[in-house]
Order: sequence, then structure tokens, then C-alpha cells
Amino acid sequence: MKHILKSAFLATALVPLASAAMAEKISIAIGHQSMCTDTYTAGIIIKELGLLEKYLPTDGKYADADYDVSWADYSSGGPITNQMMANKLNIGVMGDYPLIVNGAKFQETESLRSIYVAGTGYNLKGSGNAIVVPVDSDIYSIDQLKGKDVSTPVGSAAWGMLLKAMQDNGIPTGEYGLKNQSPAVGAANIAAGKIDAHSDFCPWSEIMEFRGTGRKIYDGSETGVPYLHGVVVREDFAKEYPEVIEAFLKAVIEAGDWIREDPMRAVTEMEGWTGVEKEVLYLYFSEGGHLTLEPTIKQAWVDALKFNHGVLVKEKAIPPLDFDAWITEDYIKAAYADMGLDYEADKAVVVDPAEANMGLPMEIWHARDGVSTYPTMPDFLTAVAAMNGTGAKLNATYVYDIETGLKLFGKTAFWVKAGDEYATFLRKGEAEAYAAANSGAVITFDEAIADFVTEG
Amino acid sequence: MKTLSVLGSEIRKNWRFMLLNGVLFALLFQVAMLIALMVRFQAFPNYTTIYNWAEAVSVIIQSTPSIRDMAPIIWEEWLIEIGRMNYDYGTGISEWSLNVIPSRLLVLFFVGAMLSLCLAMVRRDTCQSGMSNTLRATTGVGTLLIAMTNATMSWVVCCATPTWVVGLAMLGVGVSSSLALEQLGPVLSGAGFVLLTAMIIGLAWRRARNDRDPEGVLAHA
Repeated sequence: MKHILKSAFLATALVPLASAAMAEKISIAIGHQSMCTDTYTAGIIIKELGLLEKYLPTDGKYADADYDVSWADYSSGGPITNQMMANKLNIGVMGDYPLIVNGAKFQETESLRSIYVAGTGYNLKGSGNAIVVPVDSDIYSIDQLKGKDVSTPVGSAAWGMLLKAMQDNGIPTGEYGLKNQSPAVGAANIAAGKIDAHSDFCPWSEIMEFRGTGRKIYDGSETGVPYLHGVVVREDFAKEYPEVIEAFLKAVIEAGDWIREDPMRAVTEMEGWTGVEKEVLYLYFSEGGHLTLEPTIKQAWVDALKFNHGVLVKEKAIPPLDFDAWITEDYIKAAYADMGLDYEADKAVVVDPAEANMGLPMEIWHARDGVSTYPTMPDFLTAVAAMNGTGAKLNATYVYDIETGLKLFGKTAFWVKAGDEYATFLRKGEAEAYAAANSGAVITFDEAIADFVTEG
Repeated sequence: MKTLSVLGSEIRKNWRFMLLNGVLFALLFQVAMLIALMVRFQAFPNYTTIYNWAEAVSVIIQSTPSIRDMAPIIWEEWLIEIGRMNYDYGTGISEWSLNVIPSRLLVLFFVGAMLSLCLAMVRRDTCQSGMSNTLRATTGVGTLLIAMTNATMSWVVCCATPTWVVGLAMLGVGVSSSLALEQLGPVLSGAGFVLLTAMIIGLAWRRARNDRDPEGVLAHA
């Protein structure tokens, strides 16, 4: 009897242990970049809002799954690729150039592969990358960089943009000094006036503009090559847990919806998570911002990636990349289908800021009252003048470049007054040309505001 | 055969010295790189991260089907990262760092050991002082080539995997020159090892020849 009781006790005690042993532990490790705005919908937002956990499968073969989700923050895509190869990360989010390096490095191995499963967002013409000069510099156009020192994080999308921009403008590499500088070092050097110009990726140029240390002289949109970011996954992980990848991509889609729902709330939250100023983030994530949040894989993106691969092969001799084997739409299509969304419809839409931003209202971000919109320039300037008159604190003001449709800070735009009309420009040269053609004059933002200050 | 026997005898005679110098060389090289970084950036490091290298290697072995793929991945695994975090932007961004990588420590250990063997043999060599200086210089060039291509200073050069030339770029070599040199890393490193090995074998051969022909030694007496 004593023996039977002992056996029964042991059996009872072992039941929970046995079921625990049956539960499969699935580790999901994601590498993201909290200092790269265009990765946020597949990184910091999913992490902070717990969106992946919301969509992780819990039925079928996942009924007993014990998920262990971990996030690692990197300041660039290169280390994410290394960690993915070492299988310490299963999923990585990065910009176009590092994505290509990721695919090529995996394909260089005998037994490992990564796959490109979705985008996070894009700018059709390449905004996000830019060349910045110290705010007091007398350089106003890329032509003036001949014989000057330009720094950039070599290997980044901004580096690729710089090479193309210089080529497009007939400035061979021998006619300017190329320096290799990380974003933080480049930004610090711009602030100290220690470098003639610095080329960087999102959102570094705008951080420098917002802080008043730098001025943009060239926007990536002038190269006309789309700037995009995306999600890469280890193929062995995706094959073993395809539903987990679909869950991740559903989270990416929801992260985009969350931003569009209330951009001001989103950027305020993101400022707390990333340390990047909300006013800078607003330039990217608000309506008319630099970034179109949409994860489909368009043919134009594949073409852009192939173009970028060509640059990398020429400049850094990276291995070949079989794009057909690397890119797959299967997972993102499945995620769309599960959410009842039309993938093909989204894929067919391409947002060109020059057209999409035409007629969008100017905006003022009042420190207390939030963002207000103004359909005409006089309305906008009147409001700024009135708010300044009360001593109100304005976080930022936003206008659009007439030429490219790019959203700009009011304080950094070049203003032209022609009769009673006001226009805003990214570059001084175009502002001067417009002024000359319309019998106007290039003025400062403060002069434009002064026109609307009422006495008393 | 006699050359190999001399070489074996030299290694047996100097193994403690070689071991000690190998370890010292690997460690001092890390210290030198850290000092170079601090001088270059005029700042002290403000963060250190220690990685579980053994566990990482275990994960790589378990999850990499091809043995041929394992080595280059393990080769890049870090043990310690010590560097400077810039908190002026965002939640902080690593401006520069020294990465202590076990695979590179092993390479540097071998360099240090070979170097000490070379120098011990040069000291005992009976050649003229001009020749002796040439031998020392050749040893130095070999060591420099290997050390340079195993530098593990990194500057978080965005989006590109740091390579040995990042160290050169950080220390003032132009980007174009650095990138042009990047592909030559294994060749330069290999050339360094060939020089050191040739030097050791050459010295052993001279010793063997001199042992056979003692007049040769007397000629310099």
C-alpha cells in the first residue's frame, strides 16, 4: 500500500513537469535601430506596444509554445547581420544598403540564407538621406563641395546617395575629400564647424537642422533613387515558424496604422522611447512627411535594391546576390490576407511627395495646444505672428518645398516674397531663381512673419 | 632535416619565453589599440560590455549546418567591447570601440610567439651587424603586417560591417585608400606570416649550416 501511494504521489508530481517539458520554447530575437526612423514600424513601436505578442500564434503546433521575445538595439545594420549569421538574432530591420549586404553575406555561405520578407516604409525619390553643412557655412549647393571635405558613414545608404549625387553633378571622387564618420561624430563635427559637409541618413540631417547646427544643401530626393528599409529573416527560422514571421509582419502593419491614427501622439511616445526629438520625428511620420509607411514589396524597390547592389559591388566588392532567391512576398501576402487587407491594392500605390503633398496645409506645433493646420501662407504667418506676440512657445513650424514637396521646418526653409505671395524652398538657388522669375525677393522666416505682425 | 632539428631545439629551448611573449603581445596590442583610440578621439571609454563567447560559439555550432561556414562566423565573435557612448543623440550611440575578439587574440598570440623566437635566434646568429639589422627589420615588417590586419578597433561606421580597415580610416587614412586596401587584408596577413616563417626557417638553416661548417663561424670571430 505504501508503495502504491508513493508511486501515485510521484506520478502526480511529475504531471506538470511533463507538460512543461512538452511546451516548446520558441526564442524570437529581433535586431532593430532606435536611431533610424524608417525602421521604427518593425522595431521600437512593436517592442514598446507589445504588438508581436498580440499576434503570435497560440493554436495548432503553437498551442504549447513558450515564447521568449528579445530585442537588441543597434546603431547600424552591419552588426545586426553579424548577429543573424551567428543565430543570435532571427529577425533584423535595416536600410537598403545594409539589407543588400545582409542578403549577399548570407548567400556567400554554403548553408545559411536570409530572406527579405517586407518593407517598413519608403520615400519614392530618396528623401531621408541628405548632405548638411554647418549652419553658418557659405556653401549653398553641391557644386561648391569641389575641393572640400565631406564625411559620411561609409557603407550606409547616405554614402551611396553621396556617391551618386557627386557623379550626377560631375564631381569625380578625386575632387573632394571623402571622410569616414559615424553619424554622431559627423553631427558633432558639423556643430563645431570642423567638417565642410556631412552626408547622413534619417533622421540625422533633420536633427542637425532642428538643433540649429546644420543646414541641408542637398536632399536625397534629387538622386531620384527610392530610399527604403525592410525586414530580413533567417530562412531556417522562417521555414520552421512561418506563422511567427506572419505575426511579426501583422505587427508591422499595425504599427503603421498606429502612427497614422494620431501622428502627434505617436511621435511624442517615440521621443520617449528613442530620445529623438518629437518635432524631428513629426517631419517623418506626419501626413506629408518624408516616410510612406507601407510594407509591400514593389518592383521599383527591387530595381532600386539592384541599383544599390551595383554601387556596392563597384565600391566595396561585395559578393553577388540572387534577388529572386532572396526576396519573397509570401509572408507579407499571408499577413495581409489574415488581416483581411488587399495586398495588391497597397502594392499598386506609390506615393510621390511632389504630387501627394501639393496643397497640404502648413502646420504649427504649439507647445501647449499641439498641432494646428493652416491652408494658406497668410493664415499660417498670421498665426505664427500672433502666437509669437503672446510669447507662446512654438515647438516647430512646418512648410513644404515647392520643388519637391518635401516637408521642411519653417525656420530652415528659404522664403521668397513675390508681391503678396510667399513660397518656401529647400535650396537657396531655387529660391533665388523663383524670386528672379517672379519679381520677388528671398527673405528670412522672421521677415515673413514680421509682415503679419499687427500693432497694439 | 638538420634545419628542422635546429628549429625543434630552438623551440624547446625558448618555449616558456615564446608562451610568455605570445600572451604579452596579444594583451599589449589590445592596450595599444585602446590608447590609440583615446588619443585619436581625445576621450576615455565610458562603457564596457562582456559577451558570453562560449555560449555564442555553442549556438553557432548547433545552428550552422555546414562546418565550413562555422569558422568565419566564430572568427567574428566578440568577447569584450570597450568604447565611448555618445549620449548627445537619442538614447546613446557608440562612437568608437575596441573589440576584444578571441580569434584575433589567438593570431596575435602566435605572432608574439614567433616574434620572440625570431628575435632569440637573431640574437644568437653570428652574422654581421648589418645583416642582423636587416633580419630584425624583416621580422618587424612581418609582425606589423599581421598586427595591422588584425586590428579590432571599430568606429560604428553605419550600416557597413566593420573591417580591419575601419581602424586605418579612424586613424587618418583616407576612405578611398582604406577601401582599396580592404580586400588585401588576408593577403597582407598571409604575407606577414610567410615573412616570419621564412625568417625562422632561414635562421635555423644558417645555424644548421654553421654547425656543419664551424669555419664559417670562426670567420666572423
